[in-house]
Amino acid sequence: MAPVKKSKKNAENINSRLALVMKSGKYTLGYKTVLRTLRGSKAKLIIIANNCPPLRKSEIEYYAMLAKVGVHHFSGNNVDLGTACGKYFRVCCLSIIDPGDSDIIKSIPGEQ
Amino acid sequence: MVKFLKPNKAVIILQGRFAGRKAVIVRAFDDGTRERPYGHCLVAGIAKYPKKVIRKDSAKKTAKKSRVKPFLKLVNYNHIMPTRYTLDVDLKDTVTLDALQSRDKKVSASKETKARFEERFKTGKNRWFFTKLRF
Repeated sequence: MAPVKKSKKNAENINSRLALVMKSGKYTLGYKTVLRTLRGSKAKLIIIANNCPPLRKSEIEYYAMLAKVGVHHFSGNNVDLGTACGKYFRVCCLSIIDPGDSDIIKSIPGEQ
Repeated sequence: MVKFLKPNKAVIILQGRFAGRKAVIVRAFDDGTRERPYGHCLVAGIAKYPKKVIRKDSAKKTAKKSRVKPFLKLVNYNHIMPTRYTLDVDLKDTVTLDALQSRDKKVSASKETKARFEERFKTGKNRWFFTKLRF
């Protein structure tokens, strides 16, 4: 029973932390800019939706491995990730450049 | 948060005439230049891979099969796929930006890279770099 509760709390945690990043931090949305921030070593955390095509997911993970940046697999599809970012469009992957007031960088990779 | 598009990094070219070929970054221009206002890099790659050498081959055949045809190119970062491999060849002095300006300078720079690639191939190191990517 404890793991089930944990997964629901995790989802809320990420959503609230993402909302704080959207408000106070710097981020980019979308595959092209995610790769650009990874190449330029600006990204601090990458979040990928769960219905991201597997080739694209592997490519982003490989770039993140080279850049030593954490990747978080969002438990939701691109529609949910877009909603979590407060946008009215789908977001398949996003890159957090500056977390602002949020502690998403410290807490989310630590949980994995 | 670590820069990985640095000199000596092995990359795979994704677009253009040399798509699918392996190359090594000689010089990286992260912020671009006035002519190319985007991130790009100067790469030296393999246009024609050396063929597979078997024990049966005579010395003449081995020499013929171990030939490498290189290419020099300025490539956009969007058109390369970086890998975890590196290739430690010192090409900084021969492969320069002005080597790409005129045909004869490019030929002499290519000859120099050809020599360096072939001697590296003959030592048997960096075997991944000299094998063709199957796709």
